[in-house]
Amino acid sequence: MIEVVDAGRWTTVQDRGRPGYERFGIPPGGMADWFAAAAANRLVGNHPDAALLECTATGPCLRFADESVVAVTGGEAASVASWRAIRVAGGSILEIGAINPGLRTYIAVGGGIDVPIVLGSRSFCQRGAFGGGFNRPLAKGDRLTIGDVGHSQPLVEEWPGSHRLPLRGPWEVRVMAGPDRDAFDPSALARLLATACRITPQLDRMGMRIATPGLRLQVAEILTAPVTAGAIQVTPSGELIALLVDHQTTGGYPVIATVITADLPLLAQARPGETVRFRDVDAAEAGRASRRLTGWLQPEP
Amino acid sequence: MWQVALAGDRALLITIGTVIDPSLLGQVLALDQALRDRPPAGLLGAVPAYASLLCRYDPGVTDAARLEDTIRQLEGRIDPSVPIGPIADVPIRYDGPDLADVALKTSLTPTGVIDAHASREYLVYCVGFAPGFTYCGSVPDELAVPRRASPRLRVPAGSIGIAGRQTGIYAVESPGGWNLIGRTEMRLFDPAGDPPARFKTGDRLRFVPTL
Repeated sequence: MIEVVDAGRWTTVQDRGRPGYERFGIPPGGMADWFAAAAANRLVGNHPDAALLECTATGPCLRFADESVVAVTGGEAASVASWRAIRVAGGSILEIGAINPGLRTYIAVGGGIDVPIVLGSRSFCQRGAFGGGFNRPLAKGDRLTIGDVGHSQPLVEEWPGSHRLPLRGPWEVRVMAGPDRDAFDPSALARLLATACRITPQLDRMGMRIATPGLRLQVAEILTAPVTAGAIQVTPSGELIALLVDHQTTGGYPVIATVITADLPLLAQARPGETVRFRDVDAAEAGRASRRLTGWLQPEP
Repeated sequence: MWQVALAGDRALLITIGTVIDPSLLGQVLALDQALRDRPPAGLLGAVPAYASLLCRYDPGVTDAARLEDTIRQLEGRIDPSVPIGPIADVPIRYDGPDLADVALKTSLTPTGVIDAHASREYLVYCVGFAPGFTYCGSVPDELAVPRRASPRLRVPAGSIGIAGRQTGIYAVESPGGWNLIGRTEMRLFDPAGDPPARFKTGDRLRFVPTL
């Protein structure tokens, strides 16, 4: 059992989400930085489907009733040994505190966080106010049960630094053009790729507003269509909205480009004020980039 | 000719048309059904809306070109007739905060707005945006009013609004810019339900005024 002594800014239970319910308007959800979260589960020996805690900006303070194996990954929490499996004694406290660099920190516990599965997932869905055990983010006094999904021994070694993603801007984020190329003039994407864009404070798990200083893209209206995580919408004011995992399932703003799966973790860790440049790649490079990250998550031979 | 575009590295967006039209929705639903009846290898799921279908796939099993081939083979072979199901009644109390404003903009009386809105049956063109949000069309021409200039930060669940030729039902509390003309007590989203949303794309409904 884990007791929430302090919940931090926005701490939620997440797993790999609930893809497949978009036709009911339900976002796929799940871990925003899928790579750091998967690494945390791997470090403690959990199955990749295990639920863990996602903390934003300021992490929680947790009291572990029983001895547990824990791994902290993602955005840096200065006070905690990260990217390695650590053993916490029964009755001890884990305090994450301020997160920086990076924005989101993951706490995996050997056995996983056991909350009821709703629509195929333990993830909290903010827009629908369901899941995550409490139908809301964690709050002081909540008690979490540790599950029994562990399937292997914790890793002994620290996660190699060469197999982690950067946590600081300026960011280079790879995109694929479209799907709504026809809604823009032919030079629009090239002009966007040449622009140093800025992350604004308006961000959450649904999406993030990104300013394009010196660039104002003109858009044609489109008919509402389904959208994916990573879609970069252009609003009538010319600002961008990059959609994250809790995104609305359909959108009416045209999508100029889509962030590749391998670089979604970078968006999830970008902080307000940081600079991001987009670079366009083809499907082959996007595939290679994904395989590189999933390769890092494989057990050592 | 269907337009097939990459939507990132693991989804294809099939665009069948660019306007709100029952026959385009019929094609979307027929394609969706055909892919459910005989799922191509690697297809993980599809999301229908208005005149397009998003197909998510596993790049470890298939690729965009192969999936596009399979989908293109269905073009012209599917039966695009709109499935006609029963018409659901949605009880609505026409007391929304924008009813007077809509009346003003349309040069109708509030009663005229209500009569026009409740005068016809609607097709559900999409369940999307937020859990259970039900997009319906189309309202009579004289009721078409643009979205509010500044969206509300909180629109209560059950609110029914108008935006352009569309009318929609907010199933959960969310921000929104539609002109709110009324509210229903009907529960449109229940995460414990199967399915979790009361309506699905392609359903038909009508609004029944209550006091």
